[in-house]
Amino acid sequence: MNRVIVTGIGVVSPVGNGRSDFWRGLVGGRSGIGPLTLFDASTFPVRIGGEVKGLDLAGLAARFPGARGERDRKVWLGLAAVEEALADAGLVAGDMQAAALHVGVGLEVFFLEDVARIANAADPGRAAGALVDGPADAQPLQTPLDRLGQVIGDHYGILGGRYTNCSACAAGAQVIGEAFERLRDGEAEVALAGAADSMLNPLGVGGFGLLRVLSAENDRPQQACRPFDATRQGTVLGEGAAFVVLETLDRARRRGARTYAEILGYGCSMDAFRVSDPEPSGRGAVLSMARALADAGLRPDAVDCVNAHGTGTPKNDVVETAAIKEVLGDRARRIPVHAVKSMTGHMIAASGAVEAVAAVLTLVANTVPPTINLRTPDPECDLDYVADGSRPMTGRTVLSNSFGFGGQNATLIFGRYDA
Amino acid sequence: MRSVAITGVGVVTPLGSTPAEVLRRLEAGETAARRPTGFDPAPFSCALCAEIPDFQPEQHVPEPKAVRLMNRDTQLAVAAARLAMRDAGVTVGATYAGEDIALYGATGMAGLPLAEVAPLVKHAAPDGCFDPRQFGAVALKRVRPVLSFKILSNMPISFVSIFEGLQGPNAVYNPWEGQGAHAIIAGMRAVLRGRAACALVGGCDVKTHELAFVALQQHGVFTPWRETGSGVVPGEGAAFLVLEDEERARARGAAMYARMTGWRTATMPLGDSPAATYGDLLAPLASPVPAVVVSAAEGNGRARDAESQAIAACGVAAAPRLAPKRHIGNLFAAAAATQVALGAILTKRSPAGTRVLANTFGFGSEQAAFLLEAV
Repeated sequence: MNRVIVTGIGVVSPVGNGRSDFWRGLVGGRSGIGPLTLFDASTFPVRIGGEVKGLDLAGLAARFPGARGERDRKVWLGLAAVEEALADAGLVAGDMQAAALHVGVGLEVFFLEDVARIANAADPGRAAGALVDGPADAQPLQTPLDRLGQVIGDHYGILGGRYTNCSACAAGAQVIGEAFERLRDGEAEVALAGAADSMLNPLGVGGFGLLRVLSAENDRPQQACRPFDATRQGTVLGEGAAFVVLETLDRARRRGARTYAEILGYGCSMDAFRVSDPEPSGRGAVLSMARALADAGLRPDAVDCVNAHGTGTPKNDVVETAAIKEVLGDRARRIPVHAVKSMTGHMIAASGAVEAVAAVLTLVANTVPPTINLRTPDPECDLDYVADGSRPMTGRTVLSNSFGFGGQNATLIFGRYDA
Repeated sequence: MRSVAITGVGVVTPLGSTPAEVLRRLEAGETAARRPTGFDPAPFSCALCAEIPDFQPEQHVPEPKAVRLMNRDTQLAVAAARLAMRDAGVTVGATYAGEDIALYGATGMAGLPLAEVAPLVKHAAPDGCFDPRQFGAVALKRVRPVLSFKILSNMPISFVSIFEGLQGPNAVYNPWEGQGAHAIIAGMRAVLRGRAACALVGGCDVKTHELAFVALQQHGVFTPWRETGSGVVPGEGAAFLVLEDEERARARGAAMYARMTGWRTATMPLGDSPAATYGDLLAPLASPVPAVVVSAAEGNGRARDAESQAIAACGVAAAPRLAPKRHIGNLFAAAAATQVALGAILTKRSPAGTRVLANTFGFGSEQAAFLLEAV
């Protein structure tokens, strides 16, 4: 069994792009939520979101010709994070041939501009046909979910398996967990794992709005996402991407790689309850965390911090709190719990990967980021949620939760690595 | 050392919904390829698809009211998963706890037909061009919230977990056959590593509607039709397998289809020769020569020839081949599980030690092959 180390990090998020700015944003309690600008949302019930700003799309297009013309925003977010992660690890294309590539992505986007042309035509069938007779460089109606993995894999020559995971909000954590298992079991020595997502389009914002899981507090966007607060009204959609380079400890040592942290355990589960609601007792969340602890060979007392899923929806935060208490027992009340989504919004498939990076940096910087907007205690959410600014981190392990729409759950445990 | 056995098979395909029926009709040379019933294929290079003519979701979904939340991919997945669990005789709570059963599945691209997507935008393009303001002001108010459940790519597997009560390790992969193979391998790993006592693995896909045809044509899947007059026939269906630790399966008296004795995967680089990739995959699985090869060949000349070259190079050209895709169409995300399911059925009717090779070659970079052995 190999030990597995995080040796490279790349991230783009609503609170900052690049590892350093992202971390400064989190520790400083910077909200990345604002009015939506990516499309005209003026008539939507929900008009706020966490957008990634300042992305150099032209530069990315020049450096990744395989993605040129791509309309699906999550592809660009992912490429930006991958580029940083590999550079951060000091790896180039030639180093990656035997690597495993695990990519998490969310919803397959229909480009509504094209669908509208078909749907409103007098003869929809003929209009559909016209789409396929378009110019050779016309962009397709949909971007397959493996597009990001294909571009990354072809660009960097990755041939050790390319996995495209679409396990909704659990995808970002699952891909890191599956890559961890692969390295630990000796099936590969290096992996690139992460996720990218953007639902900040009419279909994403409209669809999630219909499900009534979003806060519609459009007049105060930076306060709209309030995980664990008694007045919370829902989550806020965000977008982002994060990738990590994972290596076996032996390989990392051999090449003198930087060692951010160690992955100690991974667990996942399903609620098997409803597609839209978490199981009220938190059974699925409990299973996920308990499996990660067992996988790591750790007792609950060894957990020093929880990076919560913490969406800010009324149901999630209560269920997650109860599950943390059930798994960690007395320890749950003695350690800090925090929710990154209070600042980034819910980046859906990317959340688990971005939050995994936050967990790693928590260990590196010895600092727990705050849960902003938590002002009014909820009697049912009674843990120590790090509400008043960032806090020094003591201890050696962080547990990070990701619970998905549809009932998929995943938990990662990271540990401090002392060379 | 653990070994993995296939103890249950569930298939819903254009040529039937029991393994025996599908195999009988395949061996009789029947084909399900027809002109699409739901749209005029004239604009497309491919004019055929393989539809399931008589699928009644209410007969398979435990809560009939839930059918309205599901797209057809999900309905097929729920049906095939249920058939597989029943076939294996696995009862959650009695045979294994739900938390001890893993679930790995693959779902496909373009999950909704135009008739379901059109209402989204019907009133959002008053002058022919999509206007997000109209979408927000008018169209959204006419859309039923349940549409979201039909669009999300993990929903087929989520519904399977709910109806079967499965709470074990899991993941959903997307969108091609190779990702379906990854789902099977993930389940095998879960059992082999002791992370689950049992795994339900499989996939579902529906490529028989006009938006799927648009997507397939735009992504070049139909190109061989234009160039050679033959090619991929898109199909619809779902297939699931129950995998168990062989010793535990034997202990509970389960009927076993096959032991999964080997598998290989390969990532095919952009522009690389499929023949070389397939050859590298098959070589370690080719000796001794399998009794049957479940071939991935379809009407696409290039891929068919590449597989034939690889099979010849590995010295297994004499083995009889069954080529399901020519009869039931290409089921894409469900194709890998379908290939292995048919291999399992062939294995079960053979003497102990008989080996069957199931190739899961397809679109995208990921390619795989599985070797099954009669128990």
